[in-house]
Amino acid sequence: MKRIYTICVLVLLHCSGLWAQEDIYPVNNVRDNRPEIYFLKNATIFKDYQTKLENASLLIEDGVVKAIGTNLSVPKGAREIDLNGKFIYPAFIDLHSDYGLSEVPKGKPFSFGSPEVVSPQTKGAFNVNDAIKSSYNAAEDFNIAGKEAGDLRKAGFGTVLASKRDGLARGTSALINLLDELENEALLQSNVAAHYSFKKGSSPQSYPISLMGCVAVLRQTYLDAKWYSSNKNQSFFDNSLEAWNASQKLPQIFDAKDWQSVLLADKIGDEFGVQYIIIGGGEEYKRIAEIKATNARLIVPLNFPDAYEVEDPFETQNIKLADMMHWELAPGNLAALEKAGIDFSLTADGLSNKSDFLANLRKAVKNGLSKTTALKAVSFNPAQFIEAGSSLGSLENGKMANFLIFSDDLFEEESELMENWVNGKQFIIKKKNEIDLSGKYSLEAGDSTFNLEISGKPDKHTFKIVINDSTKIDATAEFEETLLTLSFTPNKEEKAYIRLSGWRDGKNFKGKGQLPDGAWVEWTAEYKEELEKEEEEKKEEEKEADEVAKVLFPFLPYGNEEKPTAKNYLIKNATVWTNETDGILEGTDVYVEDGKIKKIGKNLSIKNAVEIDGTGKHLTPGIIDEHTHIALNNVNDVATNSGMVRMEDVIDSDDINIYRQLAGGVTAAQLLHGSANPVGGQSALVKFRWGAAPNDMLIKDADKYIKFALGENVKRSSNSNSVRYPQTRMGVEQVFMDGFTRAKTYDAEWAAYNSLSSSAKANATPPRRDLMLETMAEIINKDRFITCHSYVQSEINMLMKVAEKFDFNVNTFTHILEGYKVADKMAEHGAGGSTFADWWAYKFEVRYAIPYNPMLMAMAGVTVAINSDDAEMARRLNQEAAKSVKYGGMSEEDALKMVTLNPAKLLHLDDRMGSVNVGKDADLVLWNDHPLSIYAKPEKTMVDGIIYYDIEEDEKKREEIAMERARLIQKMQEAKKNGAKTQSVEPTVHQFWHCDDLHFGQIH
Amino acid sequence: MKVFINFITLLLCSIHWGMAQVPAPADAQGNPILITGGTIHVGNGEVFENGAVAFAEGKITYVGEAAGFSADQSSYEVIDASGKHIYPGFIIPNTTLGLVEIGAVNATVDQNEIGNLNPNVRSIIAYNTDSEIIPTMRFNGILLAQTTPVGGRIPGTSSIVGLDAWNWEDAVIKMDDAVHLNWPGRYKYEFDYSDFSVKRVKNDKYEEQLKELNELFSDAQSYASQSAKKENLKLEAMLGLLDGKKALHIHVDDAKGIIESIQFTKKYGIQKIAIVGGEEALLVKDIIKENNIPVLLSDVHRLPNRPEEDVDMPYKLPYLLHKEGIKVGLTYNSVTNSRNLPFFAGTAAGYGLSKEEALKMISLNTAEILGISEQFGSIESGKNATLFISGGDALDMRGNLVEKAFISGRNVELNAMQQRLYKKYKAKYEAGK
Repeated sequence: MKRIYTICVLVLLHCSGLWAQEDIYPVNNVRDNRPEIYFLKNATIFKDYQTKLENASLLIEDGVVKAIGTNLSVPKGAREIDLNGKFIYPAFIDLHSDYGLSEVPKGKPFSFGSPEVVSPQTKGAFNVNDAIKSSYNAAEDFNIAGKEAGDLRKAGFGTVLASKRDGLARGTSALINLLDELENEALLQSNVAAHYSFKKGSSPQSYPISLMGCVAVLRQTYLDAKWYSSNKNQSFFDNSLEAWNASQKLPQIFDAKDWQSVLLADKIGDEFGVQYIIIGGGEEYKRIAEIKATNARLIVPLNFPDAYEVEDPFETQNIKLADMMHWELAPGNLAALEKAGIDFSLTADGLSNKSDFLANLRKAVKNGLSKTTALKAVSFNPAQFIEAGSSLGSLENGKMANFLIFSDDLFEEESELMENWVNGKQFIIKKKNEIDLSGKYSLEAGDSTFNLEISGKPDKHTFKIVINDSTKIDATAEFEETLLTLSFTPNKEEKAYIRLSGWRDGKNFKGKGQLPDGAWVEWTAEYKEELEKEEEEKKEEEKEADEVAKVLFPFLPYGNEEKPTAKNYLIKNATVWTNETDGILEGTDVYVEDGKIKKIGKNLSIKNAVEIDGTGKHLTPGIIDEHTHIALNNVNDVATNSGMVRMEDVIDSDDINIYRQLAGGVTAAQLLHGSANPVGGQSALVKFRWGAAPNDMLIKDADKYIKFALGENVKRSSNSNSVRYPQTRMGVEQVFMDGFTRAKTYDAEWAAYNSLSSSAKANATPPRRDLMLETMAEIINKDRFITCHSYVQSEINMLMKVAEKFDFNVNTFTHILEGYKVADKMAEHGAGGSTFADWWAYKFEVRYAIPYNPMLMAMAGVTVAINSDDAEMARRLNQEAAKSVKYGGMSEEDALKMVTLNPAKLLHLDDRMGSVNVGKDADLVLWNDHPLSIYAKPEKTMVDGIIYYDIEEDEKKREEIAMERARLIQKMQEAKKNGAKTQSVEPTVHQFWHCDDLHFGQIH
Repeated sequence: MKVFINFITLLLCSIHWGMAQVPAPADAQGNPILITGGTIHVGNGEVFENGAVAFAEGKITYVGEAAGFSADQSSYEVIDASGKHIYPGFIIPNTTLGLVEIGAVNATVDQNEIGNLNPNVRSIIAYNTDSEIIPTMRFNGILLAQTTPVGGRIPGTSSIVGLDAWNWEDAVIKMDDAVHLNWPGRYKYEFDYSDFSVKRVKNDKYEEQLKELNELFSDAQSYASQSAKKENLKLEAMLGLLDGKKALHIHVDDAKGIIESIQFTKKYGIQKIAIVGGEEALLVKDIIKENNIPVLLSDVHRLPNRPEEDVDMPYKLPYLLHKEGIKVGLTYNSVTNSRNLPFFAGTAAGYGLSKEEALKMISLNTAEILGISEQFGSIESGKNATLFISGGDALDMRGNLVEKAFISGRNVELNAMQQRLYKKYKAKYEAGK
């Protein structure tokens, strides 16, 4: 409330001219302060988005609305402006602008070949991470930028909220009127809102480089800020945290963009009790239900993609179907938001031509957005969002005179923005000649007489010389205020121009001109009569939305219009690989109900179950990939100990590889951090529920895991410029020792604090919560389990010894290509091995990798899994398992277990996955052939009793995809013909992540 | 410091290699050998269920039904292959085998020479017969390879080798068989560290790159017709392309690139051509067929190039091309994983091809494309006895159990470092040490 009051006072002070240039600023002349009272009459006025006054007037004085209504009388001393049927609207407000702020310094693009920057580089008492720029204050940085201000005014904006696009925490924004002369006048308010993003901006510090790293830095900063403010014996000062804490009471705006990031931003907000206003990307329609559930108010761009150039069929192949569908559906995004009841405001951000804003607003209305909501989103809502509704966003007594004059209803195609008034200052956008010249004239020039016809509307007249009924000659003419110039060739064949110039005299024209031979003559054009009224062409209603793409879940080819559901299935007469003591059962039925395996037996008969004929086919548990990086938006961060980053923050549910892996029989996986650091991020354990949102892919109540890594990657062997500790396997051990030792102390400090009485607690400063140490402590406390990237025997042995010192076990060694050398030690320690079947020799530490490794580890009693670490191999994991039959003679049942039951054990999921047993999750694959054979392919893949891949459905989807592409290509071609802007085909290619995708082009 | 570390690395390498030398190459064939009772997969599509193959002095003297072998068996070393399968030695074309030991250790990599136009650079002289990777190929039935340099517009000239030899002179089967050309793309791929994506952008050097190629081939033509030559190593190396002694292997995947490169070779009258890669060959099948150009198809085990593509497109592409009448051989880009060549064929068989047709794509078809089919690629009388016996279906990992392999009749050693390590540790765990 206090803030609102402040704004009111500010506005009043500002508008009353107290601070005006004339009074404070020295002038190099005599003072020239004039009364600024305007009375605008005969207009249709939208007081706000929903209140329309016909034939109304608006009185403004010194930049403030003094009166508004239908029966106002003109006060003395006011300048009258007759708007004669024009429309007045509150001016637009853009909350996502960087208008007038200094340019963001270009950070050096990150490269894994460069030396790492571990410490912050900002000079002074600022945050430990350079990407936290919370002490930035846009008001202090603001300078008027005339051209941009003009462009924005032309697009209808009167006020913008300017924030600098630099950093994860971006400091505070300034509210700025788009005035041209003096910053002190333009600037309305400083510290309006606090801004955040997922882009680290110009920070030279290496960490964070990933989205999950950005989340971790923001989370840690929230914790640090809280601890900082509660710290009773403050031992150090941090400008950034001071500013952070000071700005928490302001509106909090998060620049997120794509729909997954919107959900992610909201998740951070939920954790710290903040409801962000979130800047979206214009694709919220793809996941409207999840967006709605955030309860966030949104700031949405009006930036619709251009059609693609589709002339060249070879090139057209490279346009992604999802991009084509987005082209078609994006204009309907706002309608979808409205329908879902989501409150939003609009931004011109992203428009290379700001004047497209209005055109796109109309397009959105044509695509289903109501006009009322459209108006609300450009003026009323933005003012409300930043708590400036008392002065901006509508036209009422005492509010700021920021308004627009349109020639007609602004949603009419022909309607033009004539004037933009900012704080009572008039900016003419479009000067329009209103004199209607249309009619028939008799034109006499020298000795000749012509019939002149002027048709069309004021300012858009066409001039023609009528020879006879069928012949008319176009004349070139220009009419401005009162002056007319006119030239034409009376005889079409001859290039002989008569050129005339003159003025309007009543309804006639007169003047002087030159004949083709150069002779000067006098001329007149006498108005004769009106033009015959032509039948107005019935404008064909533009049909924009006759047939449009369906929103698919996920928004990709092979997505589903409706999310598939679990049914009760009876799979009949299959060869069932149980992975239990029963072994392989021939001619067996499996009944699935409510997502679980309910019955296994012969000749089962179940009412109302969907029967699937399994004759001649094999049924196995779903394949579980212990180590993958698909379905992730990022893989690696670079802090030596990155235990604070969480892969669950970057799950990409819109990855086509999810579907491809279902087609290979994979139903669940551990999504792992990369191997750039001794301690990597926290894993996400997911099931491949095709079409589910990221959070819904997570396996509920699964144990918590984390990625560790050893060897060449973590000591940065491939980067000769690396300066990061550690550079040797010796240092790697010390990183672990350091981490766990500190975690123990950390744990003890918290235990001590938590054991205090409540009164003692009140007087004590709680220890600082540290997300990294918290994670390390979880490991010691057996509340989180390690999957460790590892290759050579020395380091494998080392990590087990470190773990034993802290009294816990290493759960899994992954890759573990020299596991065969220390398999007995691993078995004794209780570590599992998740390995490749036959990869080797791609780097020095895998020189002695042998394809017998799985067999040898199994012989020594280690639980062995085969993983992929590769989006392609993941869809053939059954074949990779089969290689142990070839290399070492493993039994076929044991081989299959390496990609089903054993990874389930390593992930502590074997109580519900990994075998065909009553009560277990119905994650099943029906194969057309022996599942270890190269010739086998899945015909159906089921997760939780839901069939997500079906070879017959797949065939149908292929046809649908082809048809949908063809339809969209035709539509784009047509759009281009009708003048739509187009873009060439240069799509982003999806990056396939591997374990150490630090080095582009190099793997594993 | 770094120099010191590198020195240590080198030192370590040499110590390790000293300990783990590859097995000695096999002696020349002594007695004639008769393999009888097994299923013979000839490599040309024919199968003899209860077949026999005989070879002497490295040449096949008989192949057919076992019952049809009428010669006196007493002079033969007879191998009973009942229940087993006999295949022609598989051929891996377009590989850096022998040029790279460990990809990440630069000192062990000899695949990519400085400069853009290197037709004169020859892989054969760097081909390391002692590469530890070679025995792992034999172990899976791959007995021949086209060792090929990479990088730049023209990386150099390949040669075809047998995978069991004392030195590169011993290994060579066909010296300098093909000049390789990486066709310039109209688009290129750029990695963007700011958002970790790969962006496809126009290659603004395309015209320039094309001009460079046109100049090289025109100059080679002029050079060929000059009576008194001022010797030029690069142009000299190009002559074989003009007189048909060498093939031109064009590495190209995109449809337009395939069209343009074929037109290019026609302009210069290049006689022997193969397309290597060919991921979009199906789209431009007609121009490929009309010009009778074979395709050495890249990775069967890869992901589709685009999200909307059929999920199994790379798996069924060999079949789809074959169905169109295009001759296909299979290749693979990763040298260490190339030992899975038989399984690429197996996958192709799982997705449309018959097993024998799939087999051709790693034996006879490849031999024909490489111009060595008179001697290699199938088990036929008069041909070189390069073949192996497998316990089962060699295209399937369940059956690929190579028991004996012969290169030119020489009974080559199958076990090497990996098997030695297996035995060593198996013994340790069996003994409970």
